[in-house]
Amino acid sequence: MLRIISCRQATLFVEQQADGALAPLARNSLWLHLRYCPYCSRYAKQTVLVSELARNAVRAAASAAQPGLSNEAKERLQQLLEEGERR
Amino acid sequence: MSIALIKPEPTLWVARFGDELYRFALGRVSDEACAEELVQDTLLSALDALASFRGEASERTWLFLILRRKIIDHYRRQARHPEVSLAVVTPDGPTEADFFQEDNGHWRREQYPTSWQSADGALEQQELQQTLRTCQDKLPSQHAAVFVLRFVEELTAEEICKELSLTSSNYWVIIHRAKLQLRRCLEKHGLGRAA
Repeated sequence: MLRIISCRQATLFVEQQADGALAPLARNSLWLHLRYCPYCSRYAKQTVLVSELARNAVRAAASAAQPGLSNEAKERLQQLLEEGERR
Repeated sequence: MSIALIKPEPTLWVARFGDELYRFALGRVSDEACAEELVQDTLLSALDALASFRGEASERTWLFLILRRKIIDHYRRQARHPEVSLAVVTPDGPTEADFFQEDNGHWRREQYPTSWQSADGALEQQELQQTLRTCQDKLPSQHAAVFVLRFVEELTAEEICKELSLTSSNYWVIIHRAKLQLRRCLEKHGLGRAA
């Protein structure tokens, strides 16, 4: 049986569904809700974009175009490793 | 160059992998000193664990595995709230009540999600990524840590609950709140129609 759910529940279900953590009954309720609620249906698309953006941001920040370690840091680390190896 | 024989050479780590490890860390912690510390911890741990390196993976892969572990530990520390045990959802930050009406659970009118302009193409934009980072920094630290572990480090919900000693229901409360808040913050500062 289909249960009518609120937007509050629907937005939570959206997150759980993306994780495969939603029972079939709840999934049906969510499907129905998203059909008639333009706000939650918008939310469902945008919440995916938020995660993608976070992943892209980290990838961009880790790209080779970014500055690497400072020379001082490199020297310091090098020294630590050489000392460590001698021990 | 032969890749058949892998013998770790710690004195070459900084020159070979230093920059790469550092950028990987910096993309995640957004603080240069902290990224440097993570790299240092990684290299020293690797040196201590040299005996456990059997050449099954490449030296580089092995170092990145150690760094990844250090980063997860970093988030775990970040998630720790001084007064509240990890098993409790931190009370600071917006809750569902800020977004939904108390009586019927519908969106509050002023919180209706609006449509985003050119969201697809915008995902690559540096400015937007910076905005998201600012938005993430506004989250309660526990929420920020859970968000990153799930969506950037791509740990499973189960792994995160284990790492942070969260119950499954607390985990979902946090994910829900973090997403609601980040979505709204992005809308306010760049993706919304009015911007």
